[in-house]
Amino acid sequence: MAVVEVSHATSEHIHPPPETFVQKYVFSFDHKVIAVQYFITTGLFFVLAGLLAELMRAQLAGPNNHVLSVTMYNQAYSVHGSAMVWLVIIPVLTGAFGNLIMPLQIGARDVAFPWLNMFSFWLFPPAGILLFGSFLLGAPEAGWTEYPPISLQEPAGTSMWCAAIFLVGVSSTITGLNFLVTIIKMRAPGMTWTRMPLFVWATAVTAFLSFIATANLSAALLALFIERTFNVPYYDPSRGGSPVVWQHVFWFYSHPAVYIMVLPAFGIISEIIPTFARRPIFGYKAIAYSSTAIGLMSFMVWAHHMFTSGLAQWVQLPFMILTMAIAVPTGVKIFSWVATLWAGKIRLASPLLFVLGFLSTFTFGGITGIFLASVPADIHEHATYFVVAHLHYVLFGGSIFGIFAGLYYWWPKMTGRMLDERLAKLHFWTMFVSFNATFLPMHWIGLFGMPRRVATYDPVYGGTNLFISISAFVLGASMLIFAYNALRSAKHGELAGPNPWGARTLEWMIPSPPPYYNFDRIPIVLAAPYDYGQPLPYRDVAPEYLAAVPRF
Amino acid sequence: MGIISALGMWGVVVFPIENYLKEAAQQAADIDWLFRFMAFFSVPILVYVNGFIIYFVIRYRTRPSDSIQATGSPIHDHSALETWWTIIPAALMLALGLLSYKVLPEYYGAQAAAVTMEAIGHKWDFEFRYPGLAQSVYNDLYLPIDVPVTMDITSSEAQADDAVIHSFWVPEFRIKQDMVPGMVVPIHFTPNRLGTYRIICTEFCGIGHSRMWGSVHVVSQADFNTWFATQQKQSANGGPKVNVASGDAGAGQALFQQKCSVCHNAAPFDQRKVGPGLADLFDDPQHPALVDGKKADPADVAEILEKGYTGSMGSMPNMQANGISSTDIANLVAYLKTLHK
Amino acid sequence: MASHAVTLNDAQYEEQRDHRLLGFLFFLISDCIIFSSFIFTYLYLRSAAPVWPPPGVTPADLYMAGVNSIVLFGSGATMHFAMESFKHDKHLRFYWWMMATILLGSMFLGGQAIEYTNLIHENTLWTTSIYGSSFFSLTGLHGFHVFIGVCFLVVVLNQTLSGTYTKTRYFGLTAASLYWHFVDVIWVALFSILYVWR
Repeated sequence: MAVVEVSHATSEHIHPPPETFVQKYVFSFDHKVIAVQYFITTGLFFVLAGLLAELMRAQLAGPNNHVLSVTMYNQAYSVHGSAMVWLVIIPVLTGAFGNLIMPLQIGARDVAFPWLNMFSFWLFPPAGILLFGSFLLGAPEAGWTEYPPISLQEPAGTSMWCAAIFLVGVSSTITGLNFLVTIIKMRAPGMTWTRMPLFVWATAVTAFLSFIATANLSAALLALFIERTFNVPYYDPSRGGSPVVWQHVFWFYSHPAVYIMVLPAFGIISEIIPTFARRPIFGYKAIAYSSTAIGLMSFMVWAHHMFTSGLAQWVQLPFMILTMAIAVPTGVKIFSWVATLWAGKIRLASPLLFVLGFLSTFTFGGITGIFLASVPADIHEHATYFVVAHLHYVLFGGSIFGIFAGLYYWWPKMTGRMLDERLAKLHFWTMFVSFNATFLPMHWIGLFGMPRRVATYDPVYGGTNLFISISAFVLGASMLIFAYNALRSAKHGELAGPNPWGARTLEWMIPSPPPYYNFDRIPIVLAAPYDYGQPLPYRDVAPEYLAAVPRF
Repeated sequence: MGIISALGMWGVVVFPIENYLKEAAQQAADIDWLFRFMAFFSVPILVYVNGFIIYFVIRYRTRPSDSIQATGSPIHDHSALETWWTIIPAALMLALGLLSYKVLPEYYGAQAAAVTMEAIGHKWDFEFRYPGLAQSVYNDLYLPIDVPVTMDITSSEAQADDAVIHSFWVPEFRIKQDMVPGMVVPIHFTPNRLGTYRIICTEFCGIGHSRMWGSVHVVSQADFNTWFATQQKQSANGGPKVNVASGDAGAGQALFQQKCSVCHNAAPFDQRKVGPGLADLFDDPQHPALVDGKKADPADVAEILEKGYTGSMGSMPNMQANGISSTDIANLVAYLKTLHK
Repeated sequence: MASHAVTLNDAQYEEQRDHRLLGFLFFLISDCIIFSSFIFTYLYLRSAAPVWPPPGVTPADLYMAGVNSIVLFGSGATMHFAMESFKHDKHLRFYWWMMATILLGSMFLGGQAIEYTNLIHENTLWTTSIYGSSFFSLTGLHGFHVFIGVCFLVVVLNQTLSGTYTKTRYFGLTAASLYWHFVDVIWVALFSILYVWR
């Protein structure tokens, strides 16, 4: 590649740091503070939604249990699903990780629109309050998909659900366009598209999906809300409407949303593997372009959630083929990650451990996804525990493992202190084993005839369900190890220093935690970041940060 | 890894799904074949991905003798390898797509000489309509073996709050179709194994969803004819009569727990579920009349249990829909009488 | 916020304008998706209905909407002339073209109000049929956008008069005119599928 002379295009322009408590910690414009706010709120919602899951497992521990009433059980799984998707995974991956890491990795001082960033965060706690508050007025019962007509017949809590998800949707749309402008316009000089860290690639595609797809969800929620409130027929079949319209519009959002929930996790994985394998990522371009391909294709596969809804056969076919096609770029990513481990100098630290867990479980989830893509097989598997197992393998085994990998990796950058490695490994092994013990058996009971969204079931599944419930309690308890580790690190954590893992992306070229305005001088980027063994490709970085050697 | 893969692939073949879930319709075998095809090729992918992860982590771990600056191979990519791992999955996907496409028409292509029936979802019962039978059959579907069936699947639209999406699933047939109000979707199958199999609703449809089960009885043509003749006679007589006086409260209590408690509490009127609490049914000064306006005495309660109720106050399924006999009604009335303290 | 008067130099202004322009385009795209979602709902319901319009529904009048469309498209033209005048520093002309745009936008809203009143008289409400629900939600959503657009124009006109925008720095005006043209273009789609296609 020809040597391009790059320099700072614009003069630098630094605002003074805020002084009052409210400006600093509440209505802060600083992307790092907003990221921490997201971490705290999503963490809280994760605990609440997780407790709902444990309640559900208590009810399902035996057939004909009466731990929860049937109505309570239905509300529990609906709010659990909605909260995990919209209040935990999407905001923690975009709002929290995207905000914390993306501006640092592109060498920017903040996002393009800091005020919008703050605004979009503050839409989010009211959404959580509305969603969990819906229990007071009769929470939604028809699952996170809220198919009409049953969602039209539910009590007022479902309207609160609409409002809550609408707010999250607006927040997600704003964050998406904010991030995409930031990535397109604010990369450090010399950072061409193919020199961008892969997490930034993933965030760019996610941001694109967020503001395109989420707008569509907002429209659907608006229509559902209007129909419930003013009795305007869109979905009610008895008045000429069609419930299938909702399914189309909902899944036109929610399938891309699946990738909103997993692409940033892919990005996290792509950052961690080269750092701990001490070698360049294998197939940088393949990973970057496959993210883009997955992002674009995700808009063309939504109807594979509706193979039993009575679609015409000529509609089902292209959706089946495209769904299968999307497995190809996903496979390319997985193979590239595994190949990055090949001939490395691997340090099996906790972030890498979680990444390996991710690779194992996500591959499994991806493969069961293919089982669901084939129309004839899906007709049997649809809406059974097979689907429950599949979606937890991709959203828990994929997203949540990715989130924990990222937390262990960037915790030192965010707080300046290390987490305890032994506790981290204990956390990983309990979580990995109990996760598989919880969700693996669900594939079989689903195939053999247990439908989803039931408060009770045929006693023949009793033994398996008891085993699943016990595993789920262990899985819940494994989160306590992380909570203890996080609290402990605040006081007893070893000081991290700027670059404890010896990584090479820009966020490690500044102190931990990063100072207000991040970079004294905006660095100049000369090459892609992953060439371990080569000198760092940055100019204008203070010399003390330029030795990228792991500390342990 | 080769050996483990081979073992797994062998396992997929010798422990097929039909060992655990019978195949009772023609296309079930094809779907199981497809399933086996996918499982067969998934095994080596899973084994090699996980195996390579473990192998690399052990083989290329940092050893104490390595310098802290040590780095791995500087290789960025390998185009032959990358081409192959794009082409092979793509080819597998294409093959799977073609195979799935081949199986599809069995659901949607109409067969010659098929019997056309209707299946209608209600809250929370399956209603079946046979050609030549005036009265519908609830929850117990009888089908003669080896006769192709076309089932028109839909959901009740009689009333706004009964119209919800259900789903008609018979695991042994490997058949599922959502029952969408306002849409009629024909599906095709040929039951080919005698036995009784469960029909399960898989689309959330309200408080009774977890227990929305029916049965499909695949019987010989002779048995089917006998059953059909009985149904025709019953429908001509307008159903059997109820003798209210001879109920057994104990049996009624068990039945109440099983059926009625989905919608009603055995508690005072105000403790509603879908319908009111029934404890004070026969002696409640605030609510002396039943929902149809008649006064609450055993004969009128039995009439509602028998015929159901549909009107401004909501709806209650009739005895066929609830799957209860006239003896059951007598038992329920006897049990309800014991509730008031 | 601690308000600190910041004067941007030209390069900084260019950078900021660049970000805002791209952000605004993304916003318009996502807004377009909201319309598409309702349009999809309308097309689906219409294609699934046995007869269209549903029995007993009097559809909206094509000629009246045609006149209203000409008013709206005219406002697009006047908006264009206003921007050109501003770029050529002809402030008086700019003022009159902007006033014309605002007036035409308000006339469109007035026309829509008359149309709604007529329909309501014929008992075509948004609760009575899927025609009503689709028609009123699409035109209502669009009307809401026109209303916001008129407010937007009034604000930027006021800002121009008080000297916020200069010959080189006028992003607010650009945004208002983009938004106005966007609303125009959406109307082309709505007019064709709701009125012209019988």
